[in-house]
Amino acid sequence: MSIELSCKLSKYAHIFEDLKAEDIMTKQVSTLTADKKISQAKEMMKIKKISGIPIVNDENKLIGIISIEDIIKALETGEMEEKIEKIMTKEVISLKKEDNLPSIIQKFEMYKFGRFPVVDEKNFLCGILTKVDILHKILDKFNLIYLHDKKRNSILNQDLSLITGEKLDIKKAEFKHQIDTTDISRAGEGAAILKSFLINKGIDSEIARKVGIAVYEAETNVVIHSKGEGEILCFIKKDKIIVRVIDNGIGIENLDQAMKEGFSTAPDYIRELGFGAGMGIPNMKRFADKLVILSEKNSGTQVEFVFFLKDK
Amino acid sequence: MKIKDIVKIIDGEVIVGKERINEEVNSIGAADMMSDVLALSKPGMLILTGNTSTQAVRTAIVTDLMGLVIVRGKEIPPATVEMAKESNLILIKTNNYMYSTCGKLYSAGLRGIDEH
Repeated sequence: MSIELSCKLSKYAHIFEDLKAEDIMTKQVSTLTADKKISQAKEMMKIKKISGIPIVNDENKLIGIISIEDIIKALETGEMEEKIEKIMTKEVISLKKEDNLPSIIQKFEMYKFGRFPVVDEKNFLCGILTKVDILHKILDKFNLIYLHDKKRNSILNQDLSLITGEKLDIKKAEFKHQIDTTDISRAGEGAAILKSFLINKGIDSEIARKVGIAVYEAETNVVIHSKGEGEILCFIKKDKIIVRVIDNGIGIENLDQAMKEGFSTAPDYIRELGFGAGMGIPNMKRFADKLVILSEKNSGTQVEFVFFLKDK
Repeated sequence: MKIKDIVKIIDGEVIVGKERINEEVNSIGAADMMSDVLALSKPGMLILTGNTSTQAVRTAIVTDLMGLVIVRGKEIPPATVEMAKESNLILIKTNNYMYSTCGKLYSAGLRGIDEH
């Protein structure tokens, strides 16, 4: 494995900090005892397609290691029928079961070996660990993350209401408005347009007002905080109005805090406009009949409101 | 109390909605924080504010306010005036500070919505 790859690995090591040597290592280890011949080690390497063999004693304690380089040297010096004991590396650099990924990568960097035996606290051999094992494990992890994202996306993008579960045809939303996130002075424009749209549709003015207020706050949040692009969608159903305010921005890091009245991360210039007092989400809650917020750091925010229409 | 009475009490100037000065004001309040207006205002209310941004007018539109009274003699941006005109809102300006404006109207008998 190239040094460049090592660098890349070490760059991401902290993300996988909780990975331990015992999670990464290959547990089925081919071993030999020190009294076996070097030629046997060569055969084993050939058959198993491996480049190093840990040498253990009768108790399976690690006492040495023999690598393909040692075999080549033995070939050159005609020592192939000697005992492994004679040429094996006795000062074995090994990993402990509990070593975490950053320290493992550090060891790879430091010693430039292709593999490390993994031992427990009593020096019993438990496995062997190569950089390929690390790659596999990291790919597995990424796959998990990827699957998680896939799953989440399928939830986020599905045409079902997050609250009521009913079908929402996104393409046929009665109202669509792109939020201009570049101009703070235009925040609330979408909410105002939506409100007059609802009035024109014959929606009760009290309900249209509630929609306007809740969406105003959501829209302002998108403009102030998201650092992404956003959209307002509205669906008028028989008995309710469903509104989605979505953005692809930085997400809400701490939703619990954001839900609290008075908690705000807004800068001063936003406060001068009369916002940023930590009333956004509380106001949304106050005026919507139902509210769901889905957000995660760096994964955008999706707000869905339900406003029930009164029986006529 | 009518709009024209209020204008007189606070020594104000009607910037937008001169044709509506004979309308009755049913409820009144004061806030600089638009989220408070969104949260607590009632439809048809007149709001005293130091906020001259278009956000103030847009908040007024969304919450169905009657209009805004801009206090502290602030310069009102043309965009704000324009938006108020388009939305048929009343826009009044006074040189009095927020506290004095509220005080004058309160002593003239106008009570807040929490006292109704």
